Amino acid sequence: MKDNIVISLKSVSKTFKIKDKSDYTIRNRVTKILKPSKIHIIEALKNINLEIKEGDFFGIIGRNGSGKSTLLKIMSQVYPPDKGGKVDILGKYLKLTLGTGFDGELTAKENIYLNASLLGLTFKRIGNKFQEIIEFAELEEFVNSKVKYFSSGMYSRLAFAVAVHAEADIFLIDEFFGGVGDEKFKQKSEKTFRESIIKGKTIVFVSHDLNAIMENCNKVLLLNYGEPIIIGSPEKVLIEYNRLLK
Amino acid sequence: MLKKIINYIVKYLPESNKIERIWILAKSNFRKRYYGSSLGIIWALINPLFLLVIYYFIFNVIFNNQIENFILYMFSGFLIWMFFEEASKEGLNTITSNRYLIENIRIKKLDIYISGLLSKLFALIFNIFAYFLISLFFKIQYSANILFLPILIFNLLILNLGISLIISIISVYLKDFNHFWDLFTLALFWLNPIFYSELILYQTYKIILYLNPVAGIIINTRNVLLNGVSPDFNLLVINFCQAIIILILGLIINKKHFSKVIEIL
Repeated sequence: MKDNIVISLKSVSKTFKIKDKSDYTIRNRVTKILKPSKIHIIEALKNINLEIKEGDFFGIIGRNGSGKSTLLKIMSQVYPPDKGGKVDILGKYLKLTLGTGFDGELTAKENIYLNASLLGLTFKRIGNKFQEIIEFAELEEFVNSKVKYFSSGMYSRLAFAVAVHAEADIFLIDEFFGGVGDEKFKQKSEKTFRESIIKGKTIVFVSHDLNAIMENCNKVLLLNYGEPIIIGSPEKVLIEYNRLLK
Repeated sequence: MLKKIINYIVKYLPESNKIERIWILAKSNFRKRYYGSSLGIIWALINPLFLLVIYYFIFNVIFNNQIENFILYMFSGFLIWMFFEEASKEGLNTITSNRYLIENIRIKKLDIYISGLLSKLFALIFNIFAYFLISLFFKIQYSANILFLPILIFNLLILNLGISLIISIISVYLKDFNHFWDLFTLALFWLNPIFYSELILYQTYKIILYLNPVAGIIINTRNVLLNGVSPDFNLLVINFCQAIIILILGLIINKKHFSKVIEIL
């Protein structure tokens, strides 16, 4: 079981063609037929090959703009890779990012049901787990409040609670633990995370928090300007990263 | 009641919660639209009824219309039109308003579109119910032809699904497409025999009858609902073909462009 590859990327590159934002109106489309505006080509990712096995805690580090978030979006199949690249992800995944994932106009309860249902849980199971989720997130009093009134802390606690209890197999986490909860909640979530690893869940973790990477990850990828520099144990990669920063 | 039926269905599909997923997406959609306000769900009824009263005043009192049972004549057409307009507006914004889901969770794109339509279907059913209530005040004889109504609604759903698949993509490429769409629907509105007699279309403007994919559905809905006669099968077949062609086009366009569109959101 342990050696199953759940995420595999084969020669994945990603280029963005960025035009001026104002190009996306009817008038500008018409007037710029004769004089097209300059297109910036950004190579966000260059030829990435990697395999993540079931139960891995996979860290991704790199400087700002090195393509970490893009890589995560490719993994979660929001962006398709350039031609020739191949992405496979097996299992239910949930991406945890600050500020997305829930609809502000819906209440906590509705959001829990919506998210968990999309992850494949039946209403019956969600009903059984509901109390657990809301207690874990420490939001018992706010079950029927709209999520848009939540503080960012409450928001992330809820997202985390749903992800953990909704039986996602793969967690794609983008800079998520920066502001999540107080020490007690952090300890609790870290404990849950460790248990998750034992249970064989796979976690991909993008962060600037090197301590968190050191403590949790068993494999780390270092990206620099979209190029994979090294994949290996956290100690090895951190040395390389520090060299890069200088 | 509906919940019971759905639970029943789900029992026999133990591995998949697809129906539940679409159901909850549609429900959240519907809630967002109506539950925030003080009158809540009643808005789904007030809105068309209010418009109907205004139009009734204009066309019956001022212009002195000769059509029999004019209020029902209007309402039966207006039902369909309201659905078409609202659902296409919803469809237009499908990608932007569901961005938080598309980017964070594995979700079938078609599910989002279907659930958007479903949430509008709730409103349509409300309106049909209101129609029946009003029709109690008139001497209307319902016939077995009313059984065609679900078929006509199905036709409308296919049409709207296809349109949504296309315009949701265009609206990301062209940010001001929604203004264009507003004008387009406004023009299309008057090309439908909602306030004037459908005979005008049959006699002089046959081309509109055959090119406008909504007109036929409106006429046929009226046939089965108000007049109690069988639908115009010519129109029915034409409308189904149009809807299916648009749906296929929509599926192709959407498949090709959806991921590109996400990048420029």
